[in-house]
Amino acid sequence: MTETLSVPAKMPVRLRVNGQNRDLLIEPSASLLQVLREDLALTGTKEVCLLGSCGACTVLIDGKPALSCLVLAMACRGKAITTIEGLMEGGDLHPLQQAFIDKGAVQCGYCTPGMVMVGKALLDEKPNPTAEEARQAIAGNLCRCTGYQQIVEAIVAAPEIARTGSAKRPAGLMDSGPYLMPETGE
Amino acid sequence: MIPLPKFRYVEPTTLAEAAAILAAEGEDCQILGGGTDLVPSMRQGIFAPKTVLSLQAIDGLGRLEWSESDGLSIGAGVTLRRLETDATLRKLFPMLAQAVSEVASPSIRHMATLGGNLCLDTRCYYYNQSEDWKACSDLCLKVGGEFCKASPGGKAKKCFAVFSADVVPALIALKAQVTLVAKEGERTLDLAAFYSGDGARPNALKPGEILTGVVVPADRVGIKGSYLKYRIRQTIDYPIAGVALALRFGASGVVSEARLVLGGVASKPVLVKGIAELLEGQTLDRARIERAAQLARKAAIPQANTAGQRAHRKQMIHEFTTRAFEDLAREAR
Repeated sequence: MTETLSVPAKMPVRLRVNGQNRDLLIEPSASLLQVLREDLALTGTKEVCLLGSCGACTVLIDGKPALSCLVLAMACRGKAITTIEGLMEGGDLHPLQQAFIDKGAVQCGYCTPGMVMVGKALLDEKPNPTAEEARQAIAGNLCRCTGYQQIVEAIVAAPEIARTGSAKRPAGLMDSGPYLMPETGE
Repeated sequence: MIPLPKFRYVEPTTLAEAAAILAAEGEDCQILGGGTDLVPSMRQGIFAPKTVLSLQAIDGLGRLEWSESDGLSIGAGVTLRRLETDATLRKLFPMLAQAVSEVASPSIRHMATLGGNLCLDTRCYYYNQSEDWKACSDLCLKVGGEFCKASPGGKAKKCFAVFSADVVPALIALKAQVTLVAKEGERTLDLAAFYSGDGARPNALKPGEILTGVVVPADRVGIKGSYLKYRIRQTIDYPIAGVALALRFGASGVVSEARLVLGGVASKPVLVKGIAELLEGQTLDRARIERAAQLARKAAIPQANTAGQRAHRKQMIHEFTTRAFEDLAREAR
């Protein structure tokens, strides 16, 4: 290409992610997924198809499920973004996360964060969902391992885990400290 | 990560401001609603706008209002999820709510807007591909090549990309009107007339125009409707055949109004000709339904540019038209 493209400057933005304000300098064309993973090192949100076909990058924006690969980060100013990293409370897993472990709803793990986020959005709307409601809620999220049944069971079981308070601290996982970006060490 | 092409992002707060930006930037500007159609296309390099203009901060575009004099007014920025769950809409126009609930997946319906669905770009196996994929062969007509590669024989000078919005056939069956606003002023036209049938430029939006919303006329209340969608999976996928049927029944089951619109089987939504003439003033019986299904099948002109063989999709239009009539005939009894 011979024409010189004028590259827009990076823009300062404040995003509210998992209850914290994060001030960032980003490309206007950056997707929310890109900013979460590459600027904020929140790699729990997965990158898969980048076309809105798989659901792996699902986060909650103002409590509603959204595909972060299709959202521009610039469009999220002033909105509350919740990622899979934001679900733990006081060091305990969210009951839905515990349910996924208890029911064996995780195999390769790539769809899991997205499945948990749509499940969380459903539980916020309907505290005791039926299996059919759980199936409808995950209808935009592809899983190539589990056959979906365990995921549906986990979502339906989550309210009971919340009631009995049987969610556990994740063993070992959090002891390794925060993830550091290899390039920057941040 | 495959990055999006670099662009400037603007988020005007008034329609006048948006129209002024659009008038200045012309075709270098793309309008962003929920992003579920535009962003994947930008990711694939189909669009590389200098400016992306988001409509999300413009207040009036989120309206969803019913009045007995003016009908149902829906702003372009209303999300499909809101349409799907709105109690008034579900009560007055259940077919519309049904069609909305068939779009893509729940998360996408939370994001996608009515305006985006109405302005949905046409789709094709040869078009919705990455730049690398397209570089392996001659370009198709829609991206600057010589011929439509999906056309029979691959030698047509007209683009046959398929129009796949689910909400549009239902809205056309309900005689919706669409409003377009530009810096110079606004115009309103029948939604059916908004679509060109040319896959390369599927709608009547002129440079500088913004689709601001639709109105379903108040006199459409009482219409019985059915939207049936055929797709590979029961979720996520675009329709490979869709049928929207609107009927009004008079005394003793006589049809007083009939409108049938097809989606996913041409470069625009197809308003099937001859349906009103065939059915108005008549009762529904097996023979008339079969005749209507034949008219629908004939009007469908699917191409080899999405899933499903052409003959099969025509057959499914026949089948789904029959089912839609049978459903409504049962309801009318």
